[in-house]
Amino acid sequence: MAIAATAGSLAARERTARRRMVNSTMTAVLWGAALSIIVLLIFFVGYIFYLGVPVISWHFLTSPPSEVAAGGGIGPEIYNSFYILVLTLIFTTPVATAGGIYLQEYARPGPFTSLVQFCAESLSTIPSIVMGLFGMLVFVDLFHWHFSAIGGALTLTILNLPALMRVTQEALQTVPTTYREGSMALGATKWQTIRRVVLPSAIASLTTGIVLIAGRIFGETAALIFTAGTSVSVGRSAYDLGLFHQAETLSVHLWYTHSEALVPDVTKIGNGSALVLLVMVLLFNISARVLGRALTKRLTGK
Amino acid sequence: MTATMYAPRAMPEVDADGDVKLCVDGLSVYYGNFQAIKNASLKVPENCVMALIGPSGCGKSTFVRALNRMHDLSPDVRVEGTVTLDGEDIYAKDVDPVTIRHRIGMVFQRANPFPKSIFENVVYGPRIHGIRNRKRLMEIAERSLRHAALWDEVKDRLDKSALDLSGGQQQRLCIARVLAVEPEVILMDEPASALDPIATSKIEDLIGDLKREYTVVIVTHSMQQAARISDYTAFFLMGELVEIGKTRDIFFKPRDKRTEDYITGRYG
Repeated sequence: MAIAATAGSLAARERTARRRMVNSTMTAVLWGAALSIIVLLIFFVGYIFYLGVPVISWHFLTSPPSEVAAGGGIGPEIYNSFYILVLTLIFTTPVATAGGIYLQEYARPGPFTSLVQFCAESLSTIPSIVMGLFGMLVFVDLFHWHFSAIGGALTLTILNLPALMRVTQEALQTVPTTYREGSMALGATKWQTIRRVVLPSAIASLTTGIVLIAGRIFGETAALIFTAGTSVSVGRSAYDLGLFHQAETLSVHLWYTHSEALVPDVTKIGNGSALVLLVMVLLFNISARVLGRALTKRLTGK
Repeated sequence: MTATMYAPRAMPEVDADGDVKLCVDGLSVYYGNFQAIKNASLKVPENCVMALIGPSGCGKSTFVRALNRMHDLSPDVRVEGTVTLDGEDIYAKDVDPVTIRHRIGMVFQRANPFPKSIFENVVYGPRIHGIRNRKRLMEIAERSLRHAALWDEVKDRLDKSALDLSGGQQQRLCIARVLAVEPEVILMDEPASALDPIATSKIEDLIGDLKREYTVVIVTHSMQQAARISDYTAFFLMGELVEIGKTRDIFFKPRDKRTEDYITGRYG
């Protein structure tokens, strides 16, 4: 009787037809959403390449920018972007990974742990311009460092610490508890377990996370305008390791040329810089994958 | 306490022909407010195999994990009572759980090799206990893998990932990994429950060999397995240690009605 009711009755057949229709409609909607994202992305990237490629030349990539005449390059800006990125990672990575390891492996659930988590989450939602103004007040005014590479890097450090700590925690969460138990059951201490089993298993996702955040740091603008400055060479070579020199990055340059610069070829510089930025961030993402895979292979023998 | 429904049983007799290796007295384990083990007491003689049986959720895994202080890793688990190893209380304040787990090894229900090479898995324990000499580590690896009846299958690919082994091989690798640290007691939590019959019988043969040098406590949901491999059997029901004795006594003349019901298939 039950079979007759579901297969036979008109109502049941109608229900089946409706379920099928809803099913195919939803498939089409989701497929369409995915497609529109891809189309938008291709259009966007294609447009940047279309406008940017003609601008790119050896001269553009290596010469210093010009203040008033056309034909300035972005060499020092590329250098500064990398310099500030490296500085930021040197400051951020040890603190953030150690904090993440503490929160994930050591901290017992309780008010203190929740407080730290809450603070980290709040910190990560602060707009970067607010962080930039904070950095200006502290590093530029209070410490009298003026606009400096280190001021910029420290501002970016504060900006990215919570995110990187989160990345560490998430990487550690992917390591199965059975690995930890297996190690502890062999008489390993907690630290031995973390160092020899947990971290090697998490290193791939950790590296991927760090490189992706590096991409974000590379493209950060608002936090740097008032901390690292908008100039590349005030009475010095544009390429040096001076921590206390102004260090305009590529993305800041992009903003600066469009808002304040006097040069006539603003659009050209903008198109070229945008392309370089895009390609760099793309390279970061690709290298994150490659590096992650290589590390997993090396450390886990898989 | 629900256990008072039945008269408290005297601590079960253990044959005099072996020294007592592990002695559990009045052990209770709580998960928050839930009491998973209710005042259990038993003795495990040296160089024998003791099986812990009972239906799912009866607390046998919880019990065995209390024997090497694995519950220390979970913040909301509380353990009461004493467990002594060669007369020394492993829960005493000045005892480091790390040294206890060195002396009491454990094999888990699901094989959990580390994502490293076969060789690195076996020598993991010796390495963390300070052995660095490559030749010495190689000797330990070979001896442990032979002992775990895995050597012939893996000797040509020691540097390959342990994760590429079959489930049964992985579990024997985990046993080899425990043997490499030369513990005195080996705890096994349903080591063959995820394996096919052939892999299971290999593990069972292995356990028979192990008791010559080690004391083995094994949790199993298979009564046939308990009957095949153990000298003593303890029956748990709803957190209570109902009965313990020589395996053939438990199976052929159980003293408790509940044991008899379980053995004859009226539970689980």
